[in-house]
Amino acid sequence: MALTLMKGSEAIAEAAIRAGARFFFGYPITPQTEIPEYMSARMPEIGGCYLQAESEVAAINMVYGAAGTGARVITSSSSPGVSLKQEGISYCAGARLPAVILNVMRGGPGLGSIQASQGDYFQGVKGGGNGDYHLITYAPSSIQEAINIMMFAYDKAEKYRVPVLFLADGIMAQMMEPVEMPEMVEFHVDPEKKPWAATGWKPGDDPEKRAQINSLFISTEELSKHNDVLQATYREIEKNEVMYEEYRAEDAEILITAFGTVARVAKSAIDELRAEGLKVGLFRPITVWPYPYKELRAAADREGVKALLDVECNEGQMLEDVKLAIEGTKPVDFFGHCGSQMPTTQEIIEKIHAMKEGK
Amino acid sequence: MKKVFVLIGNYGSGKTELALNFAMRAARAGERTELLDLDMVNTYFRLSEHGRMVSMKEIRLVSPNFACSGIETLSLPAEVASAFAMDWDTVIFDVGGDAVGSTALGRYHEDFMELEPGALEVLNVVNARRPLAGTADRIAKLQEEMEAHSRLRITGMINNTNLAQVTGPDELRDGYEIIREASERTGVPVKYTSGQKDLLEQFLAEGHDPRFIGTPLPIKTYMQRDWDSWVRSLSTKQK
Repeated sequence: MALTLMKGSEAIAEAAIRAGARFFFGYPITPQTEIPEYMSARMPEIGGCYLQAESEVAAINMVYGAAGTGARVITSSSSPGVSLKQEGISYCAGARLPAVILNVMRGGPGLGSIQASQGDYFQGVKGGGNGDYHLITYAPSSIQEAINIMMFAYDKAEKYRVPVLFLADGIMAQMMEPVEMPEMVEFHVDPEKKPWAATGWKPGDDPEKRAQINSLFISTEELSKHNDVLQATYREIEKNEVMYEEYRAEDAEILITAFGTVARVAKSAIDELRAEGLKVGLFRPITVWPYPYKELRAAADREGVKALLDVECNEGQMLEDVKLAIEGTKPVDFFGHCGSQMPTTQEIIEKIHAMKEGK
Repeated sequence: MKKVFVLIGNYGSGKTELALNFAMRAARAGERTELLDLDMVNTYFRLSEHGRMVSMKEIRLVSPNFACSGIETLSLPAEVASAFAMDWDTVIFDVGGDAVGSTALGRYHEDFMELEPGALEVLNVVNARRPLAGTADRIAKLQEEMEAHSRLRITGMINNTNLAQVTGPDELRDGYEIIREASERTGVPVKYTSGQKDLLEQFLAEGHDPRFIGTPLPIKTYMQRDWDSWVRSLSTKQK
């Protein structure tokens, strides 16, 4: 298949369409406005629906409505906009609605900046909205990887009936890379496979078969039972859906942990450090929920590993999960910036040198 | 005579890279050069990030107000007037992508019209590996829209077909075929073909019709990014 040169925003939007998404609801915000822009041109071409909502809150509730019919639905925003969506995301999780939500992270808190950041890790994987729920959360580190994940994201969302979150950042949405775009997937709502979907009920139809999309359970017994189902689903996801990558990690003495764009920078740093003769490798979670606790622990348990270095474009959010995985068995150091300043290759190299010298 | 180059085109066609190359070349030839960042659309990967490198070469750089300050509401600076009022040898406008980006030029319509005949080159930078510039139809349509928005006639095309770091010999050749068709249909000539020196020489040796090649323009890459490891792995896979 031929390669094309695509901007992250366009590529992610096109991949969602090829994966079957036919409804986009959103509201512009830098640095992801190219996603709604692309969708506004592309959805009408393929008989889909692009709707610019009056706000992010409206957009996520439109997602709730459309997902409730079994359709493949997507919304995108950037950090402050994703904050606004949290109530609706919790409702989607509560009502067990499959959907895809993109967060192209920018600096925070508050309005922050329009430059790239990874400051919404906590928001994405530790909750965000109310209640005990999780989103399958992917943190791709290249445009091609984002495309590839998008092609199965709806299958996962539908299999488990959970919303899926993409944690990207401004760099990934704005940069261009050569990519291969997969073929369009044939997708139709099949009421046999989605008996829960509200696809139309007429008076006289079997009342037992009336689908209701709902996250409200007045009786505590019912709510408790509902939560048991959710929790059992999350355990199942934790068992089956963990994704991660190791890079030059087999004989590493220092194991870097990083996700998304920062992992790209870390790889460049590792190549340079390896050329100097230093044994440095990378462990990169691709799913940040479910988090690869076991797999990271196994990588860190290797005899040669003396220490870990977590690198992020925030003040150490994933660091907490790294520490949970390691359980104090190895020293864990951290390097990062908040305020949208991407850690650079040089900074990582200097930090590793400092660690080697015991500073 | 003052030469004014206006670079417009599809998002990601390589306008900024070419603008820097045009400017560096002019400065190297001892020409008094002004480079104008007129991209009012993009807040990432923009020309003004290279301000220091540009000013070291004694090229005057004009940037929109608030460029690179992390604010998304850029505004046109008054200094754009210097492009028309001052006595430069070469002036280069690096304009935002697509029709929406070229809208910024409309503001200077009268100034452009007052330039000496033949002084103005409005060049459509085409990368046929971009999905929205991958066919002659799309190139022609975009060209029409950009002319309407910019209030300028496009005088030539640049074949700048590439896949960033993984560009191979097929890129310029495929671009040549598509752009040739667009040129024949629209009547807009191909003025330049640009690429890395070795790939460009390889392409030229293939003996294509020079009318659809124009002046060969070997370019240097200034817009480097630091995420090359994935691309490196992709290159290895392709070999």
